Amino acid sequence: MDSSWLGRAVRGLAGYVALAGGTVLIVITTTTVVSIIGRILIPLGLKPIPGDVEIVQAGMLFAILCFLPWAHLTRGHAIVAILTDRFPTRFNAFLEFLMDVLMLAVALFIIWRFQAGLFDKIGNRESSFILRYPIWWSYAAGLIGLGTFVIVAAYCAVRSGRNAFSANPVRPLSEMGE
Amino acid sequence: MTFNIALGLLSFPVLLLLIFLRMPIGLAMLIVGVVGNFLITKSWNPSLSMFKSLTYSTFSSYSFSVVPLFLLMGQFAALGGVSTSLFNAAASWLGHRKGGVAMAAVGACAGFGAICGSSLATAATMGQIALPELRKHGYSGALATGTLAAGGTLGILIPPSVILVIYAILTEQNIAKLFLSAMIPGILAAIGYIITIAIVVRLRPHEAGQPYPRVPYAQRFIRLLQIWPVLVVFFLVIGGIYLGWFTPTEAAAIGAAGTGIIALFNRGLTRRVFVDSILKMASATAMIFLIILGAAALNNFLALSQLPQAAASFVSGQGYNPWVVLTLILLLYLILGCFMDSLSMILLTVPVVFPIVTALDFGLPPEEVAIWFGILIVMVVEVGLITPPVGMNLFVINAMSKGTPLSQTYRGVLPFVVSDIVRTTILVAFPAITLFLMRLLY
Repeated sequence: MDSSWLGRAVRGLAGYVALAGGTVLIVITTTTVVSIIGRILIPLGLKPIPGDVEIVQAGMLFAILCFLPWAHLTRGHAIVAILTDRFPTRFNAFLEFLMDVLMLAVALFIIWRFQAGLFDKIGNRESSFILRYPIWWSYAAGLIGLGTFVIVAAYCAVRSGRNAFSANPVRPLSEMGE
Repeated sequence: MTFNIALGLLSFPVLLLLIFLRMPIGLAMLIVGVVGNFLITKSWNPSLSMFKSLTYSTFSSYSFSVVPLFLLMGQFAALGGVSTSLFNAAASWLGHRKGGVAMAAVGACAGFGAICGSSLATAATMGQIALPELRKHGYSGALATGTLAAGGTLGILIPPSVILVIYAILTEQNIAKLFLSAMIPGILAAIGYIITIAIVVRLRPHEAGQPYPRVPYAQRFIRLLQIWPVLVVFFLVIGGIYLGWFTPTEAAAIGAAGTGIIALFNRGLTRRVFVDSILKMASATAMIFLIILGAAALNNFLALSQLPQAAASFVSGQGYNPWVVLTLILLLYLILGCFMDSLSMILLTVPVVFPIVTALDFGLPPEEVAIWFGILIVMVVEVGLITPPVGMNLFVINAMSKGTPLSQTYRGVLPFVVSDIVRTTILVAFPAITLFLMRLLY
């Protein structure tokens, strides 16, 4: 783990963003359960929460985008290291750097197209079917997770780049997780 | 036309090469998908406009929202202390037999699989309870770790199951029918593992340790009653989907709330543990959804290349024996499973393999083929979790058992792999076993 101020700051950012996503996921869970109870108790005069499906969809988008930076930072993505484990440390460190650069490129690509989508939705004023909230709100909220993803991906690329070109590179993890 | 199909074919070795150079699997699928799309359409514009909405539509999909909720359910279940009561219940029924502590571990894994849709969580949770018991009673490290690594795979097989959900979405099959059809194979798997243990401890008596003392029947039923929260959650989730009370997403939300409440009552939910389990769930969710996003881009390219249709019509047009084709496909999964994780394999291969299999004539209606194949495929990719050299369950359990070399775990799990292969062969030969509950109840 990187204990410099930058390392701690990025880790803290990714952690809190992931927890924000987790909180939204729990809100979704609760909303869904309350809505079901309302639906079961229609005879008693209760009713389901209108647009519960749309709340799930909007919340899920936000939550998953918030999870991406944490998974990347803590090396949570599935990789196959069986072959490269046989290669020298520097080669592995270099591959990790290369993959981190590509992840950064893809993160930038995704956020670039995502904001284009955002402006499309602002332009065409599309809104959700039942709750009638503008779709661009979902897009705008998603920028929190995606923006953090770009920051984390840039940090990871720098981190693994410094490792790959240092005198004594550290061997990257071969399996998932920290 | 043929150029496009060739391109589609070529994308698989390229993809595997990238993956074997430790590129994250989701990233590799996304990049190959976008580049492949460019090579076919000679323009970046289709990808550029697709990604305006693809991230949004994939991550806000209502059907996929079941995945994080099932993961949350599993994380909460792991905290709830239900694992202890499950193990005690299983031990009171099986513990006095030869190899009984290991059999109890399998029984407890099966019970835990009923409220947890992931193998790693099942292996890790039951490992915490059962490994110390096994070692205390003198079981060998090989048998102890092998049992738990194999038992963990029951988490995927016994519904709810994250992998089955993903298969259902990819192939547009009914989740309730898939869950129902997974029940008998799941129970057969547990019985198969128990028989495996019975055989191993007779062939190699020094591997087994002391059994538990026999427990009177009254006591056994009391222990069984103590697992009622598990039963309530299981029947609400699976029964609720089957009876049409809930959509799968709603059922998963109820499951997550249910196991969350159990964890609260058992005081498993301290602030730290809670934050930790949320972060674990976050990481697992992001991993899955990056792969799903990559698979969406890749499948868009594959559909453009027309490879899936071409492959399906080629295979069915050649008049190959369908059973031989099926066996070859399952063998391919077994081999791939030695290196790759189960979810990536499903997302990577199903779009091509599924049209091939459904184009073959097994003398069954198309829907039954789809369901039966789904169960078979989940079963063989789950074997991948316990086959050396790369089996995540083996690593997880081995890391928990201090003083057991990985080579011992590799040796200990082999009898269970044999049991898996025997079971899969039986289920391939007799589709009626898998389809029995579905035919009965629908």
